[in-house]
Amino acid sequence: MVTIDLAATAVREANELIRRHGADGTDVELVNPDARHHLGVGLVHPIDVRIRGSAGYFCAGLTDAARFEVDNNVGWGVGDNMYSGQVVVRGNAGAIPGVAIRGAEIVIHGNMGSRAGQVMKAGTLACAGNANFMAGYMMYGGRIVILGDSGEKVGEDMTGGHIFVGGRVQDLGSDAELVDLDDGDDDDLRAFLDRYELPFKGTFKKIVNAGKKLRYATSERQMRSIPFFTFSQDSEYWNPKIQEDIYIKSQIGRYRIRGYGGARPLPHLADLAFRRDLSHAGRDPDVVAKVALATEIGGLNGANALKLSMPVMIAPMSYGALSASTKRAIGLASTLAGIAENTGEGGMSDAQRGAASQLIFQMLGGRLGWNIHDMNRADGLEIYISQGAKPGLGGQLMAKKVTPELARIRGIPPGIDLRSPSRHPDILGGDDLLIKVEELREATGYRLPVSVKLGAGRVSDDVKIAVKDGFDFIELDGMQGSTGAGSAEVIDYVGVPTLPAIIEAIDALEEIERRQDIEIVLMGGIRDGIDAVKALCLGADAVAFGTSTIIAGGCIACMQCHIGQCVTGIATQDPEHEKRYQAEVESRNIHRFLEGARWQIAALTHALGYSDFRDLGRDDLVALTPEAAEITGLPHEPERRATLPELRVQVG
Amino acid sequence: MAVYDINRILVPDAPPEYEDHTRDVHYVPAPCQVACPVGTDAPSYIAYIWEKDYERAFEAITATNPFSSICGRVCDAPCEPACRRTDSDGPVQIRNLKRFVMDELGADYRPPAAPVTRAESVAIVGAGPAGLVAAHDLCVAGYSVHVYEMTDRLGGMMIWGIPAFRLPPGIIDEDVERLKQRCPGLEVHLNTALGRDLSLEELKQRHDAVLLTIGAWWGKPMGIPGEEDERIVDGVSFLRRVNAGERPEMPETVVVVGGGDVAMDACRVAKRLPGCRHVKVVYRRGPDEIPARKIELHHALKEEVEFIYNTQQVEVLPHGNQLALRCVKTGLGEPDEDGRRRPVPLEGSEHDILCGTVIAAVGQRGICEELDRAGMMQPDRVRTEWESMRTADPRVFAAGDGAFGGSTIVMAMHHGQRAAYYVRHFLEGEGEPLPYRTPYRTRRVPVAQDLMWEKFPIQEPVFVGLGDKPAEFPEIELTYNLDTARAEAARCYRCDAETGSADYSVLHREDIFSMARTDPGDGRKLKAMLERRLRLRDNPFPEARPAGLDDLVFLPANLSRLVIDPYREACRISWRLGERLDLELPFFVAGFDHCNREIREPVDRALAAVGAAYLGERRAGGEAPWLQLCTPGRDAPDPDASAVVYRVGERWHPMPTARANPAQILGLHVASHRGLDEAIAYAVERGFELLVVDGTGAPRREWPELAGAPDLSLLRETIAILRRLRKEETIDIAWFGGVRSGTDAAKLVGLGVNAIGHGVAVALAMGGEIADGVMRFAPDRSEEEREEAVRNILKANAGEASMMARCAGKTRLHNIEPEDLRAVTRATASATGIPLAGTKAA
Repeated sequence: MVTIDLAATAVREANELIRRHGADGTDVELVNPDARHHLGVGLVHPIDVRIRGSAGYFCAGLTDAARFEVDNNVGWGVGDNMYSGQVVVRGNAGAIPGVAIRGAEIVIHGNMGSRAGQVMKAGTLACAGNANFMAGYMMYGGRIVILGDSGEKVGEDMTGGHIFVGGRVQDLGSDAELVDLDDGDDDDLRAFLDRYELPFKGTFKKIVNAGKKLRYATSERQMRSIPFFTFSQDSEYWNPKIQEDIYIKSQIGRYRIRGYGGARPLPHLADLAFRRDLSHAGRDPDVVAKVALATEIGGLNGANALKLSMPVMIAPMSYGALSASTKRAIGLASTLAGIAENTGEGGMSDAQRGAASQLIFQMLGGRLGWNIHDMNRADGLEIYISQGAKPGLGGQLMAKKVTPELARIRGIPPGIDLRSPSRHPDILGGDDLLIKVEELREATGYRLPVSVKLGAGRVSDDVKIAVKDGFDFIELDGMQGSTGAGSAEVIDYVGVPTLPAIIEAIDALEEIERRQDIEIVLMGGIRDGIDAVKALCLGADAVAFGTSTIIAGGCIACMQCHIGQCVTGIATQDPEHEKRYQAEVESRNIHRFLEGARWQIAALTHALGYSDFRDLGRDDLVALTPEAAEITGLPHEPERRATLPELRVQVG
Repeated sequence: MAVYDINRILVPDAPPEYEDHTRDVHYVPAPCQVACPVGTDAPSYIAYIWEKDYERAFEAITATNPFSSICGRVCDAPCEPACRRTDSDGPVQIRNLKRFVMDELGADYRPPAAPVTRAESVAIVGAGPAGLVAAHDLCVAGYSVHVYEMTDRLGGMMIWGIPAFRLPPGIIDEDVERLKQRCPGLEVHLNTALGRDLSLEELKQRHDAVLLTIGAWWGKPMGIPGEEDERIVDGVSFLRRVNAGERPEMPETVVVVGGGDVAMDACRVAKRLPGCRHVKVVYRRGPDEIPARKIELHHALKEEVEFIYNTQQVEVLPHGNQLALRCVKTGLGEPDEDGRRRPVPLEGSEHDILCGTVIAAVGQRGICEELDRAGMMQPDRVRTEWESMRTADPRVFAAGDGAFGGSTIVMAMHHGQRAAYYVRHFLEGEGEPLPYRTPYRTRRVPVAQDLMWEKFPIQEPVFVGLGDKPAEFPEIELTYNLDTARAEAARCYRCDAETGSADYSVLHREDIFSMARTDPGDGRKLKAMLERRLRLRDNPFPEARPAGLDDLVFLPANLSRLVIDPYREACRISWRLGERLDLELPFFVAGFDHCNREIREPVDRALAAVGAAYLGERRAGGEAPWLQLCTPGRDAPDPDASAVVYRVGERWHPMPTARANPAQILGLHVASHRGLDEAIAYAVERGFELLVVDGTGAPRREWPELAGAPDLSLLRETIAILRRLRKEETIDIAWFGGVRSGTDAAKLVGLGVNAIGHGVAVALAMGGEIADGVMRFAPDRSEEEREEAVRNILKANAGEASMMARCAGKTRLHNIEPEDLRAVTRATASATGIPLAGTKAA
């Protein structure tokens, strides 16, 4: 047992020491903790950690196998995301104790705060006193034991798992119900309580999910999409698409869901043109060698930056929305192209990790598949706040795609219509986020870049918060981004297009003189190298391709991603459909697409007169529409359409 | 330029006289269409099969193909390997689908005749696919055409080279009859051979131009010793005999040499003839290299033809009363000029294959002494320039196998079309027309909707094979039935159809496909793609685009607002209208006054069930709250109404208004900018609780919303007036006009509306159809079904509205403010006062 005095040692240093002792198998005692945050986070060895006093936020968070004991109280989020191990708190716990645990045992001797065990997947959270409101909120599995009273709305929107209450059940949450104890429940509980020396003479009530909200009651009739041109800008007000929507909704009584990206015209990078005549662009066959394209993203605050061979990444897309083969193909292509891939929601599979040489690990409110081991083997961390396709909504994965394998990685019951929470349990605003970022950095030893993914909305306010919260970069996602499933109306009508998003972001950062303190990766409807160069001109540090990589890999854009029966084997988990996707072939296709984009970026940069993409600027662009001119402040030159001779394509 | 340009980037202009849609950004010819030498609009006819619209399917098939019935049976279908579904679970069976349509309609259809409008005439020598298609195109263009055919029938190799079990004679007749019907200017001279019955000079004297489509009528010899034995025949001659009606007795074992289509037909014919038991095909390369169409190979194997691969004949020797075909085994060497690997004989592998006859199907050649004498042959085909289809003689053109070597029927047809194009321009005196390019057009058919489309396996037609009486050559397979045809049609990806995204148009998707298939070192193609992508797009929001709800978006809550979980967290949407009437949903329905009881009553019951109201001159039924719409001076307030709403006519004038009891809401219905100030001031002064703002612009007609998009500026002006009067919070605003979804409703709330009216949306939900500017209801639904539909659409729209609210971080729908919205067009920004996204509020 070694003792670390927190009065003399900074938390960052203490956590390094604890992890080092963990690796040696030496137990640790922390004195003078003074309710500091993040104590012991990221520890993955089975040692004892004794905290002589009170701990702050996220004590024992993001750990596996260690045993913590806290003499007094803990702040919120004790045991956040623990895999295994235990925490014993002699005093009280703040809000969301045991949030997102996946197998640990957490025992609170006093009372515990609200939303205990939120989105937990497995393990036991026990409390000898009373729980505050919404214990078991959105839990997916495991058990919560409350010896005292339950608090309001216990089991609110729980999906799986069990809650046992020894005292009064104040009232039940939505979709929760009281049931009789199963044989053996009582014995198991008492054995557990005996192990932790918690005396209890009363009887237990058991609360489980009532199963009313796990699946949509009536399924939407599957239809192939009406071709876009029949409901584009100049079509009838009551056009066939509108009529179809109304007809379907009159059958299901609910909003419609679909996959893919926004369908209707919006101001876009395509409404900008280059100021110079680029007819000579690409004449030099060796242009890629003549333009500096390599860049680093994420290293501003001392983390190990992502090393990109060009200012391009793969946009986050999950294994779940996409098949394992598709993720593999994209990962391989990203490696061949020397850029970074992203896990999207739902965790990291070994296959994804193996395929991609640089992989960003995305972390969402449902904490699906989020764990310390995958964080440690990631090359970057990303906190998802929202996405351009459906900002404000959590991910949706219809039951057809929630296979046992996928459910295992995500830690959820198989076969549910998964609607991920749209808010992190522990991020209610910018201040919480600051502490969360710190926890992630503490847990991974400040090695990894930490980014935030923002669906474009109040971009100006949001990027200012992001820079103040200390992120290394922002993944800014305009509303033209795509999704595997989302409310059709949200996809088309919530959020701000990519073009105004980047303008607002850059302007806001410049306004507070912080442009140099954060990098911006722009995504959402960026389709190829031409769009990429325009984004770079407008001030993005890099861009990310999502939909275009899927199309390069065979997507036919039928917009049925949510059904789970993708005819090309991309957006499916059905083995019969997936076998239609040839990962090796498509990875080469995707790679060629990325190389084509590289060539385009180089050719345009070169033709604009630069040898480094960082020299690109807003002055290289003009606006073609009044909207684009007003949004960007660029000169409005619609006559360019007429003055540029129709580019005649030469025959063979 | 190759017709089948897999690059799909360099698409030259089609000559202007053809209907061609390749300049439409919402259309790129599908790979199958590009692969078809005659540019058949396969996606459209497949889609029409789904729609059971066989006549349109027929039109799409035959528009560029006068031999559609024949092609439905025996086209080599280059479209199928090009099908994008080939890489997943097998190509759509495009040819079989064509056959299905032609079997349904082909026999009886008689196309309209194309009259002769030109003085000039054209001679065509040879009535094969190239010649007849050229004749067709020239006749349709108005010329007289004389076809000189040396045999007694029209069709060339289609009739003499393809056995009846693959192509029954009646099928050829169908196409030929249709062609004759279409082309009254066509005159046929059978049994008339060039050189024997008339000379090229005579043709040139009689006609203004001559097109030589003489075919490759004679088999090439194998070029090995012993070949002169009379038991050795060439493939095309053999097929010609059989197609003339002979059924020669065969020896027990027949060897066919070669691996092309003639070899396939010959081996299968032999198999059916009397006396034959074994047929062996000797091919010098392996099964991966054999040029025969996969389906023919497959069928031959099913008919128990034996294939001996990697074997090359070197000599024929007598062997008792049999023949011995002496062969060597081969390995694969270096690729030759056509990219296939050259067979290399293996030493010491010599062996004999015993048989009664050898059919040599190793290639074809054209022979014509007349042309040879004129120095026009090179040596076994007519010397012809591909770019102009001209021979050495400026008035003589050539096409087809006889000009460019043995190929397929559909390629010969393409030759015919090309040749007709150049002949026409020659006759019109145009020296250098734009290079011919196969035109591509689309018929824009909706995509097939079967739920199983992504699961259907290939629908294989029933294969009959030899049948009970092989020598009668019964047809080898059956056509689809309606169900299998539609199941197959549903499999089509519809690569031609724009599937729903403004940013990823079909054209742009094709560009991405192309990038993904371009070698990073292929600078020429990369540059061509870049040029195409640098073309500037049209303004998606042209000046004329009116302001509209579609061009408003919501700002989501992220970091600067607390995120509300739209799947779980509550969002209050109820509204107390005019401080008196509690609506569970902030909705009302209007515009059903003139409908009959079977329509009005389900609306009423549904409104009562969901907690919304009806606005109209009379009640919809007896249950839902009623907002009575009164014409001043005409209607008295009804004590049963929850509200009395007075219409302001075309022009404002003060009106007598009253409520029947104090519990009633008093309201004003405004529908025009004129007199809006005075009307609102009047309502405010008199203590009205409700303003119904009707933005339809046509408040007096039935289904006023069908007049078009609503005028949002009326709402903006109303609110501006109230704001000036400092009465914004004291009077409720109900909006009617163009509300289609909960999203529209939520946007209107953001613009200041408290209760949202539905009209056409509810009528559509109930099964109404828009016809002649009104809604029509077919008696196809029960009242219960209509009621349920109304409940559902209102609930769905309420759900959508509250989802929008929650995405914007609101737990109450009516908390949505202008500040939560952005416009994406200037017109909408100006009509609503909502700032353009990315710009600061004024």
